[in-house]
Amino acid sequence: MSGLWLVARREIATRGRTKAFVIGLVISALLVGALAFLPKLFAGPDSYTVGFVGPSTLQPALTGAAKDVEITVKPFADEAAARKAVLDGDVDAVVVDDRRVFADGEVDRELGLLLEGAHQTAQAGRQLAAAGLDAAKVAEAMRVAPLEQVSVGADTRYAGARTGIATLLVMLLFFQLLQPSMYVAMGVVEEKGSRIVEILLTSIRPWQLLGGKIVGLGALALLNLVVVIVAGLGAAAISGFASDMPPGIGGVVVSTLFWFVLGYAFFATLAAALGSLVSRQEEVSSVLTPMMMLIMAAYFVSYFAAVEPGSPVARILSMIPPFSSMVMPVRTAAGEVPLWEMGVAAALMIIATAAVLVVGARIYERAVLRTGARVKLSEVVRDGSAVAR
Amino acid sequence: MIEIDDLHKRYGDKTALAGVSFAVKPGEMFGFVGANGAGKTTTMRILMGVLAADSGQVRRDGRPLTFEDRRKFGYMPEERGLYQKMKVSEQVQYFGRLNGMSAAQAAKATADLLERLSLTGRAGDEVGALSLGNQQRVQLAVALVHDPEVLVLDEPFSGLDPIAVDALAEVLVERRTAGVPVLFSSHQLDLVERLCDSVGIISAGRMVASDTVEELRAREGRRLLKVVVRDAAPGWTAGLGGNITEKGDEVLFTDVNGSDQEILRAATKAGTVEHFGWERPTLTEIFREAVA
Ligand SMILES: Nc1ncnc2c1ncn2[C@@H]1O[C@H](COP(=O)(O)OP(=O)(O)OP(=O)(O)O)[C@@H](O)[C@H]1O
Ligand SMILES: [Mg+2]
Repeated sequence: MSGLWLVARREIATRGRTKAFVIGLVISALLVGALAFLPKLFAGPDSYTVGFVGPSTLQPALTGAAKDVEITVKPFADEAAARKAVLDGDVDAVVVDDRRVFADGEVDRELGLLLEGAHQTAQAGRQLAAAGLDAAKVAEAMRVAPLEQVSVGADTRYAGARTGIATLLVMLLFFQLLQPSMYVAMGVVEEKGSRIVEILLTSIRPWQLLGGKIVGLGALALLNLVVVIVAGLGAAAISGFASDMPPGIGGVVVSTLFWFVLGYAFFATLAAALGSLVSRQEEVSSVLTPMMMLIMAAYFVSYFAAVEPGSPVARILSMIPPFSSMVMPVRTAAGEVPLWEMGVAAALMIIATAAVLVVGARIYERAVLRTGARVKLSEVVRDGSAVAR
Repeated sequence: MIEIDDLHKRYGDKTALAGVSFAVKPGEMFGFVGANGAGKTTTMRILMGVLAADSGQVRRDGRPLTFEDRRKFGYMPEERGLYQKMKVSEQVQYFGRLNGMSAAQAAKATADLLERLSLTGRAGDEVGALSLGNQQRVQLAVALVHDPEVLVLDEPFSGLDPIAVDALAEVLVERRTAGVPVLFSSHQLDLVERLCDSVGIISAGRMVASDTVEELRAREGRRLLKVVVRDAAPGWTAGLGGNITEKGDEVLFTDVNGSDQEILRAATKAGTVEHFGWERPTLTEIFREAVA
């Protein structure tokens, strides 16, 4: 086992120190962090500055009614000063004598609704008081519970946020599965092409070399994924997007990490086995074509699943390996997934991954010491006597 | 003792090895020589387990070699392989650790070896930044770092400058003296002659000779008779047997076939005999003869 850890450590030290890795890590964290601010940018501001000219009964109604929104109040001496402030953008709107609203163009839609509501409340209170009703009783009568929203269909309150998170997850998983798998293949070819593998394999077993490479590069990919998730959630907490996120985001994170580990083990082993067939870096991309096509297919299905998580295509493919490794976490983020479907998907993927590990390790072992021309897969599978071990 | 017993290997319909056998004893330096394509590398790769023989066996002290045995071997493949982007010292230590050394042991052994191979100044450089000869020295350090019980080196001297050749020779002699069987292939026959206790000559996948250097020379030795006669009358060699080459006072006889005493008598009669004796062939001459 120690051989495996030594190999893994070398991979981590070598790859983790490269500029490409560090820059990739920082950029992906920044990117996802920035994305967490995006919904708030499109949703419009959470705070308004409202000016008032003259005494106002609307003002307490406005500041009292708005719970999610922060309202800053600014008094103005006269209309002229108020107009100037509006034009300068110092205030979003000015209420003049509780009768008119100044704005630069139209009033912001949400602020307009808030102002109108406050106006209704204040005006109704004033008119009822004028009709001789007791002020306290009026206030009592005016307190109305808001309408309760009940969805008789699926719970779509968080549909937008869910789709957004799921889409992000598609890209994240795609890159974090594809890139480290490519690195695994390139590392295998580097060792085979330079024949360093001849020395390595007189010191350690093929499974230690292969396992160490997959574990080491996988640990870096996992680190990258965790950093990106933490950056995203952290930024969401700061931007206030966290409050709009659907419940159970912790479950989505756990499911993502779980599926990533399985998917990575599957694709990285496949990449290593295919990579071991060739001896030159130029041949890597062509020999990896089948694996790339598999990942690309999973990628497109995942996109579809992010938008239509409940469709039959998404449901079925989220249970079929290796597509499940991307589609299932995306579906989990995009909507509700029955527990039994998760169970079936996990069981099938674990079986598939174990099979790829066994077969892939055998192909690698038989092909990696065969120098010269590209090794045919059929040769490796047929002839087990390539190397005496 | 390392025994190679009747190895056969074919690549498709090309026969690379057709019954290769020899043995390397503890404390013996064994030079493995042969023309290009004769099968040296193939034999050594089979010995190291990175290639499977079609038939035949490799044994150590009578038992077939196992992976655990080979872990304790030091191996230098023909095609050099190092991580180009890894630093010299880190790389040598890494291989020491893969062979089961602790971090401290590996660090110490690496520092010692780099010192001996005059690489201390390059310890922190990436291997790819070194000249080919210096990369070759790193390759040697990788083969030697774990204090191997057996050394198997495929053309370790190729590409080295004379100073490095001496440094490597010194290291190998030291290992040999410590009781390690050392097997290396080379095309530099003078070097093999100088360093090796035994020599194996392979030709077209078959061993044509395998013995101690002394034994080989003695066996091949009674071929060339050198006679120097001062003030000899011209034509004194007329009528004597064998092929004759004259050069001034010096006469070389080949294919003498037992008429050496007759030649001596003729020489004594002709003048003052200054030299009369069998010429010891060089390894190069033995080699040419053997693979011809
Ligand atoms: N991978 C291979 N495929 C086909 N034939 C091979 C292969 N490797 C070696 N051979 C053949 O086997 C024979 C022995 O080759 P080998 O490399 O053992 O020779 P060598 O004695 O090491 O030669 P050199 O002095 O040039 O290094 C050669 O005829 C060679 O062409
Ligand atoms: Mg060779």
